[in-house]
Amino acid sequence: MSVPAADLIIGPLEPVTAEAAARPQARGWLRSAEIVIPGGILLVLLFFCFIWPLVYQVPKPVGGSLLTTNLPLWSPGHILGTDMVGDDVMSRILYGGRVSFEVAAAVQVIGLVIGGLIGMVAAYRGGWVEAVLMRVVDVFIAFPSLVLVLAIADSLGPSEMHVIWALSAFSIPAFARVARAATLRLRDQPFVVAARLAGTRTWRIMAGHLVPNMMPQLVTFGMLGAGITIILEGALDFLGYGIPPPTASWGNMIATGESFISVYPRYVIVPSIFLLVTVLCLNLLGDGLRSRWGVR
Amino acid sequence: MSTSVSVQPARWPGGAHARRLATSPALRVAARRLLSAIPVVWGVTLLTFLILNALPGDAASALLGINATPAEVREFSIKLHLNEPLWSRYGHWLGGALTGNLGTSLASPQSVASILGQRLPVTLELVIYALVMTLVVSVPLAVLSARRPRGIIDRLSMVGSMASISIAPYVLALLLVIVFAVHWSVFPAIGYQPVSQGLGGNLRDMTLPSIVLALPLIGFYTRFLRADLLEQMQSEDYIVTARAKGVSEWRVLTRHALRNSFIGLLTVIGLNLATLIGATVIIEQIFSLPGIGYELLQAISNRDVPVVEGIVLVFGTVVVLANLATDLLYSVFDPRIRHVRARS
Repeated sequence: MSVPAADLIIGPLEPVTAEAAARPQARGWLRSAEIVIPGGILLVLLFFCFIWPLVYQVPKPVGGSLLTTNLPLWSPGHILGTDMVGDDVMSRILYGGRVSFEVAAAVQVIGLVIGGLIGMVAAYRGGWVEAVLMRVVDVFIAFPSLVLVLAIADSLGPSEMHVIWALSAFSIPAFARVARAATLRLRDQPFVVAARLAGTRTWRIMAGHLVPNMMPQLVTFGMLGAGITIILEGALDFLGYGIPPPTASWGNMIATGESFISVYPRYVIVPSIFLLVTVLCLNLLGDGLRSRWGVR
Repeated sequence: MSTSVSVQPARWPGGAHARRLATSPALRVAARRLLSAIPVVWGVTLLTFLILNALPGDAASALLGINATPAEVREFSIKLHLNEPLWSRYGHWLGGALTGNLGTSLASPQSVASILGQRLPVTLELVIYALVMTLVVSVPLAVLSARRPRGIIDRLSMVGSMASISIAPYVLALLLVIVFAVHWSVFPAIGYQPVSQGLGGNLRDMTLPSIVLALPLIGFYTRFLRADLLEQMQSEDYIVTARAKGVSEWRVLTRHALRNSFIGLLTVIGLNLATLIGATVIIEQIFSLPGIGYELLQAISNRDVPVVEGIVLVFGTVVVLANLATDLLYSVFDPRIRHVRARS
């Protein structure tokens, strides 16, 4: 009996990995809980950072009154109190969160588009194109990226845009590696070969066959990368190369709070909790999506 | 090495064993990898040079400060050879580096080699201390988790490791300082005592920084090793064989699966080393440890090109060598790889 040609072409795309096969299927609600809970918390955080200040009168993150400095938590009008110059801590958290989310999203999107393109073209073309592109990526990976990041931030002056470009130096080579590995796996799959034999143009194969199939992997990688980006953005602020005060960011709130650590540890602890929860949710969501989509 | 062995095999102290080592295909593979790594390391130094030059400001104005007159800056930059064109400066540096001379710091009369000699041991100690801590905690934790997947130990360690991956190093450092330095004064918040002034004091100063460096790694390696162990236990033929021979499940896990999972772990450690070294920059800054990362930050803001180049060269070489060593250790741990390579 002959095998229908369609079966050959469509074939199983992603062989079920041993780990996934061995994992007994968790009950439905548990499976969605590992995506819904971190995703929900992130949505709430995003809502409060980006939309809440538009619809509700939130105190300004800068220019607080010096008459009301160091108010404790749960003060009337200042739910998280005020800091050493009288600014409302809650408001600074919200506006600082904007910075973190914007930087994380921008860096991951830049990495996904540019790095993904580099990796895909390198693996699909092969030959000298691959050799040259991947050696360049290797250089960037062996290069202590922090040098580049600090150099960019130090010379161009601290600002959100420069932090984004500097941190993209981490994300582009990382995405290039992942995209290359994914393309190598897909390149000789029957459906790609069939498309090539049918005379489909290279860019159409890439856009129509390769990109959709490696998106799950790149997106989960981006989720995990976003957590790392938020941590690194904070690190730059912390070292004084990131977003400069008085503009609020979680990193520089922690950094300025450091001097008051023995008197008012809450200046460090409050932004740290928000940072931890955000990164934890991004990691959990990335992990949940990874096991849901069966990517490794 | 291979020629000297084949010409005078009898005088080689290791005898047959050394000869086999020298002619082994694994070593040849390693040699080829080492050669292909050279352009990467070279590219790293060139990239550093270009970046540092593209930055506004130079060492002369950075070192003299904002009160210097233009004439002073010009004179100083001639003294530092900063007026020469870019390629001649890079060629000069590369020529020196190839002959083992890394040049002199622009900020101080010290040679780059002596700066590296002073700073490197601190960073190395930090990294090694943290890696030892990591392995001591995460290997047993991963084995215990893999013994009963979804058991109580497994669940706790998965939650804990996810949290430890998600915590930012500077946050962790500050929290540890609040608890152990401010609250209980067990460990000092900042400072460094060299080993020469007593090992106890040295370890006391290095403990908090190493914990900060180790904790995310513990989470990461525990998760990785657990997943790998589970996969080995479920799908590998040699596990089936061992079970069929009646080897106890615990023994299969610790003697058979763990041994193989170490290979994967080694790769991850090798690949991680670059990130790990990068993390030391932040940690050394927080705890004021006079390591290589601390020096790097200073050198960048001083535009001290020779020092930055020296440090970057060391970083790049360490990362490349670590990846190479990982490849070689593969064959030590996995006889399948050893035999396949020997046959090919």
